[in-house]
Amino acid sequence: MIEQRSFNVSKLTRFLTTYGILLFTTIAMGLPPLWLLLTSLKKDIEYLSYPITILPAVPQWSNYIKAFTEFPFLKYAGHSLYLSLANTLLTLVTSAMAGFAFSRFNTVPGRSGLFRVIVALLIIPGTVTVIPSFIVFARLKLVNTYWPWILWGLGGNALFIFMFRQFFASIPRELEEAAEVDGASPFRIFWQIFLPNSMPVVATCFIFNFNGVWGDYITPLMYLTGENTTLAVKLSDYVTPHGQPLITVTMAAAVLYSLPLVIMFFLGQRHILKGVVTTGIKG
Amino acid sequence: MATLESATKTVPSVSSEKTTPRKGMSPRARRQTLAFYTFVAPWLLGFVFLTIIPLIVGFLTSLTNYDGLNVFNLKFKGLENYQRILSDSDAIFSIGRTILWATLNVPAWIILSLILALILNQDIKWRGFFRTLFYLPNIIPVVATVWVWKIFLDANNGVLNAIIRVFYPDLTIRWLSDYALPSLTAISVWGGLGWGMVVFLAGLQGVPDELKEAARIDGANAIQVFFNITLPILTPILFFMLINALIGSLQAFVIPLLLGSGGGQASVPPRATYLYMVHAFRQIFVNQRYGYSTALLWSLSIVLLTLSLVVFWSSRYWVHYEVAVEEGEGKA
Repeated sequence: MIEQRSFNVSKLTRFLTTYGILLFTTIAMGLPPLWLLLTSLKKDIEYLSYPITILPAVPQWSNYIKAFTEFPFLKYAGHSLYLSLANTLLTLVTSAMAGFAFSRFNTVPGRSGLFRVIVALLIIPGTVTVIPSFIVFARLKLVNTYWPWILWGLGGNALFIFMFRQFFASIPRELEEAAEVDGASPFRIFWQIFLPNSMPVVATCFIFNFNGVWGDYITPLMYLTGENTTLAVKLSDYVTPHGQPLITVTMAAAVLYSLPLVIMFFLGQRHILKGVVTTGIKG
Repeated sequence: MATLESATKTVPSVSSEKTTPRKGMSPRARRQTLAFYTFVAPWLLGFVFLTIIPLIVGFLTSLTNYDGLNVFNLKFKGLENYQRILSDSDAIFSIGRTILWATLNVPAWIILSLILALILNQDIKWRGFFRTLFYLPNIIPVVATVWVWKIFLDANNGVLNAIIRVFYPDLTIRWLSDYALPSLTAISVWGGLGWGMVVFLAGLQGVPDELKEAARIDGANAIQVFFNITLPILTPILFFMLINALIGSLQAFVIPLLLGSGGGQASVPPRATYLYMVHAFRQIFVNQRYGYSTALLWSLSIVLLTLSLVVFWSSRYWVHYEVAVEEGEGKA
């Protein structure tokens, strides 16, 4: 009897702690962004009123239209989109190509040495190379152009090469041997057999790379100035031409800026979480 | 996690393969070699020009008085820039701040991620919903994240102070200036919690249910099961997370810049969050001291590379359990 009762008590405490922590965490995680959403629907006067008003008297959906008219959303989103897409597509192709090369061509001299370089590259901290790269690009007069993003894309990404290599290594050799007998070149085998078969890796790398470039603040801050900059930089400290901050409109723009990534997350959730788990890649 | 596991396992298998001598290559071998190098050419060129050369240029710059313009009037300064770090009171201050920040951020992030993972590893209602919700902040770009927290923590119009005022009507806490370091930690943990949780959840899959069940039958309570079974099996992941968090914390500077005033490259972060990388960044973009800045960066790189090598080296010792090996093998 007593045992039965103590079991129930411990079960109850367990239940309460579990849901207590979950409730607290949900509030702590959810309240700040919820406040941003509410703010994006207020008038500036409402936002600045004291004491604060929690809900907007009338939801200002027009803030989301003003994000396009008073805040130059489309122009800078265009820059961000261009850089993200160009860099991501190039990175994908060159990384997949290198991954393919490392997963086949076993007898080629120098292959294993180069693969070790890739593995070693995985541990070079990114921040440390960003500023020295800036010095080089500045000397080449490529600062304030989009060339660095194109060149970085052409250079591929060590982690993605590694992921592609791992995936391609699992594709049975019979597949390409048959194609080889039919006279297909290595490039055709890569382009028509390997790449179309690696869509899970493509999706994972696409999402991670796109998110990385779209969300990147520090690189465009260093490399691009004035009109050429990206949405991330513009959003960080936007003031109107008259020097006026537009807090609530900027908040609406911040929501619109985050939205594509959130949508992409829901579409590719499975791939993203799998990518995190198997490679330790950070969002 | 698996990066390291598979990496350490893949390399020996590759290197053990015999390579054909270059001389007397058959036409087929020659074709293969040509194809291989064509496929890796873009990456290889990128590696040389975008990683190796900047690293070398960075190091050479750190030995000079380069200011961004004086290419034809450079002076070799030897290790003077490195010595200067020790006599630069701002640099020393920033190192102290960075250490303090890391001691706040690393344990907070790891412990909270682990707690959430343990809770969501149980069979509870709406598990998927909670996992998604807690992961979402990880998706939000840093500029939006900082906006979220700037208006949440705002001294006058922020919600947090409004909630506090319900209990203490006259209290106005200036979170982003007087408590900048705890605020920075909160922002950073908020953004990273989901990632940590997912990695720990994956690690928890490696804890066999039978083992926990057996311990429970032997009379162990939940806390004993955690400390005697779950935690030992999780140590590899814990260690990986620890080093990862440490490396990330030492390099942090984006959020402090975004929280700063003045905007853009010249942004001045709240003094309490004047981290090491902020100092290095400002040396170039505010003071044009390229030589000194690259010396700061190289010094940090050495610390970071040492930390990374420790993980890399130790991974072969702490990646010991069968589950991970099987997973790695299946992937390769």
